[in-house]
Amino acid sequence: MIRGIWTRETVAMVFLAAVLPVAVSWIWDEGVLGTGRLVFVLVLAGLWQALFTFFRAQPPSAAGAVSAFAIAVLAPEVGPLQFAIGVSFGFVFGELVFGGWGRSVLSPAVVTIMFLGFGFPVADWPHLPVQIGWATIPAAAILLFFGVLPWRVLVGALVVLIAAGGFNFDLLTSAVAFVLVFLVCDPAVSASTPLGRWLYGALFGALTALFAAFWETAPVQIAVSAALLVSLAAPLLDEMAIALWQAVRRYRHG
Amino acid sequence: MRLWGTLTDPILRQNPVTLQILGICSALAVTTTLAAAITMSAALTAVIVAAAGIISLIRRHLPSSIRLIVQIIIVASLVIVVDQFLQAFFFEMSQRLSVFVSLIATNCVVLGRTESFSLHNPPVPAMTDALGNGLGYSLVLVIIGSVRELFGQGTLLGTEVFRTTEQGGWFEPLSLMLLAPSAFFLLGGLVWAIRSWRVEQVEVSEHALAPAEETRG
Repeated sequence: MIRGIWTRETVAMVFLAAVLPVAVSWIWDEGVLGTGRLVFVLVLAGLWQALFTFFRAQPPSAAGAVSAFAIAVLAPEVGPLQFAIGVSFGFVFGELVFGGWGRSVLSPAVVTIMFLGFGFPVADWPHLPVQIGWATIPAAAILLFFGVLPWRVLVGALVVLIAAGGFNFDLLTSAVAFVLVFLVCDPAVSASTPLGRWLYGALFGALTALFAAFWETAPVQIAVSAALLVSLAAPLLDEMAIALWQAVRRYRHG
Repeated sequence: MRLWGTLTDPILRQNPVTLQILGICSALAVTTTLAAAITMSAALTAVIVAAAGIISLIRRHLPSSIRLIVQIIIVASLVIVVDQFLQAFFFEMSQRLSVFVSLIATNCVVLGRTESFSLHNPPVPAMTDALGNGLGYSLVLVIIGSVRELFGQGTLLGTEVFRTTEQGGWFEPLSLMLLAPSAFFLLGGLVWAIRSWRVEQVEVSEHALAPAEETRG
């Protein structure tokens, strides 16, 4: 996808710009401790990225910074050694072994967070303050304005979430909003056909509503688990959309 | 000298698990502790060596149409002997290994070696080859078993290496290591490490990748 100035790195830069309003409100809330976590993830993820891109002679990508921020915000609270293992695992096995950002099936942030969640089930999940939910609105607006965010995913998810919540915004907690905009709508891991994107967004909404109804746990864990399952389903949804399109064509044109 | 090559080849160069990706079912299932991994390795090595010897002895009398059935009968009888032995002398361990000792009968490593090597070679090379494959399998199991036990419980063979937080130490056990997915990750990482070191083991890719897009167009 290279059109004029639109290279992979432009997309990454737009994502970084969209993260800024959320980052400001989050650091305002978390203070020095949160900044420390963020710097820790950024340095570690940067080291792994640098190592792999150096040996593969690839240009580095700024997209890792967005994943690093998502990890700092959403990861369960574990000790520094466990955190380092989780971040290394997430970036290496979630993204870098597949060849870097844009080639992987899963987002490294989702892999890291779920790894820590499964690995340390007793660790506390963070509670996202309400202003982060509001701060994702300008972020989503920036991404939608530049056309980076797949809007069908966003609309599909919102429709299902609002309908499942009985036509109010109860299900749309700040954790769900953050995960939806930055992890589910990441164009590198979301479905890429129009119908596939509708289904992908709707599936995220449905899974979140399902988990919220039957699972007594933190909203962050619900949202990230749903994100993991839908990104695993994304290739299947694309395949279904393409098969349907081919069937329709065959029916129409013989 | 050729015997030495037959013995050492399957340990790294032709490893049944990491190169041929055989027998990974038991490699995933019984490696939660090092002791279980070692017992399973010993059981498999005993079965494969004995089976290779017996099948190699009768290879000239074996009609090829029923050779698979005969091989399975021999392997299964040996497995029953090993299983009974474990139940008699290591009862707790045989409880922990549960069905996986009996499943050696269907282990692809065993049948693969008897079918492809023992049927065409005299007993001594056949048993050497079987021993090599058993050791190659054991090597992978022991590596994965020790990593899983060390990081999952902080112990090795039941003795404490890292003092866990529950006992007032610093090590927080990684309970994911005790679940099956971690064995997949470790095995994948091991295969990856071996193939980046020994490039000749890398498989030919089935599809050509589209040329990489440059970030500057």
